[in-house]
Amino acid sequence: MERLIGVWVESLRVEALDGSTLRESLALLDALEVVCPFTELIHLGFYALPSRGPSRFFGGEERVLEAVTTVVRDVLGREASLGVADGLVWCEFAARDGVVVEPGKTDDYRRARPLAALGRRDLATTGRRLGLRTVGDFADLERARVSERFSASVLVLHQVARGELDELPGQRDARLGARLGRLREADRPDEQRGFFGQRGAADDRAHAAALRLRQRLGADGVVVAALRGGRLPQDRAALVPWGSPTAVSQDDAPWPGQLRAPSPATVFAHRVAVELRGAANETVRVDARGTLNTTPTTFAFASGAVRAVTWYAGPWPLVERWWAVGRRRAQLQVLLETGEALLLVAESGRWSLAGVYD
Amino acid sequence: MFASSSVRPPIPPELAATLRPVSFATHRRIALDEPWRGLVPGEGLRRGSTISVQAPSGAGGLSLALSLLAGASARGHWAAVVGVDDPGVLAMADLGVDLRRVLFVPRPRGAWAESVADVLDGVDLVIVRPPSRAARGSARVLSDRVRERGAVLLVVSESASTWPLPVELSFSVTHAQWSASSRLEDRTLRVRIEGRAGVRGAEHVVVLPDRRGRAAGG
Repeated sequence: MERLIGVWVESLRVEALDGSTLRESLALLDALEVVCPFTELIHLGFYALPSRGPSRFFGGEERVLEAVTTVVRDVLGREASLGVADGLVWCEFAARDGVVVEPGKTDDYRRARPLAALGRRDLATTGRRLGLRTVGDFADLERARVSERFSASVLVLHQVARGELDELPGQRDARLGARLGRLREADRPDEQRGFFGQRGAADDRAHAAALRLRQRLGADGVVVAALRGGRLPQDRAALVPWGSPTAVSQDDAPWPGQLRAPSPATVFAHRVAVELRGAANETVRVDARGTLNTTPTTFAFASGAVRAVTWYAGPWPLVERWWAVGRRRAQLQVLLETGEALLLVAESGRWSLAGVYD
Repeated sequence: MFASSSVRPPIPPELAATLRPVSFATHRRIALDEPWRGLVPGEGLRRGSTISVQAPSGAGGLSLALSLLAGASARGHWAAVVGVDDPGVLAMADLGVDLRRVLFVPRPRGAWAESVADVLDGVDLVIVRPPSRAARGSARVLSDRVRERGAVLLVVSESASTWPLPVELSFSVTHAQWSASSRLEDRTLRVRIEGRAGVRGAEHVVVLPDRRGRAAGG
């Protein structure tokens, strides 16, 4: 069962006639989605979000709970009751109680609840007569005994009590999604702004999404690309953080010494050290005249994985700034026994992986 | 008259507010370019669908996904590429992707699913390469969100188990062969396209990339 964080907001439980409850619920949902986009409004007054992902991101469950508390306070000006447990049913109880059930302890927590917690008064009454006071007592009944005595709907509750189901029937408000959707539509009249050819609504939407991602991942989390002059694929691609002031200009002019298409679909921005060896296990080198000292036969990653080289082309020397000492690079295309095609670069006697024709 | 006039007649704002763009059935699909147009039912990717692209390591899975993006991007759709650490921008441009309308989220760390969910609000197509097998819960939430927003999610992976839910359409590379002379020339892919609704599985030959770095029919 998934570990969930529950948010219980008592004041949103009962719907006001003027529609303000729904509106506030939607506002809180949108705000909580910034903390975790998987936040769900289960029914009015109760939200659930997974604990694992956000905890990893915020650096611990406590931090997430703090963030959620702040969000609720900012949006509603009130405090919410928070709880953490495994499975939606027990998460809701935990939220109502305002407790964090430690990982692995949800079973104990579940078994200790009074039987009435399952929401059926008739079951609770009958159970009391049979001496079943808690959910745990009920769970210990054999399935056959339960089906003898009760209807199918109680059998489902029995599964919930045993921890085999993590959601009570009817716990989720099925109509809520559609109602929120309609409310969202009504609140978005400017969606058509790009209809007659201005800067489109689509552009605005994309920018809003990028902004939100940047809030989530930090300034360099979202990147945009453009081409510029250069000889190697990694020189020709400019990847800059979205929204950074240095505007990227598109420059697609031919550049002497650059390899023609096709280009690698993966281009490493950082140096990935690799080794290229000949039949006698000697390192392959590019000499001053731009030729190889031997035929490359094996290729090895720094991790140690070794592959046979079945074909190679090049080297294509790149003589740049020949007046500066030691700036001599060469490109080499190789095919491995696995069928993978790679672009390698040699510089000062060392090989690195520039790209993969993925 | 309108056809020869470069200026459109002004629309009164109160009228404009009531107008909706015409919605044709084709708008429910994002059109594809050749060679994919003829190979996919409806000549496009249905909005709201999740699509898988599978290929063994280095066999062209990423190129294939990017080529599916190219036509839409050139027609003005926004796209995002999530979890591709080191995108080959030059190859994308060669494929016909308009880089001005692509957002990259190269290293979402642990938050790849959250990043996809965020970006789905803003773009029509999302390519994601999950770092590991997607949890069932997040896959379900993402599929729901794709459907709700009318976007298309392309999941690139090396194995079918990465995405735990059924997909609308799947592209899998079954064979890849480079042809080379004094340099790498082009790569011939055999791609199996299977769909959920009424698409019989069939294998097609596609050249990707070709000599100009584009996708072409086999």
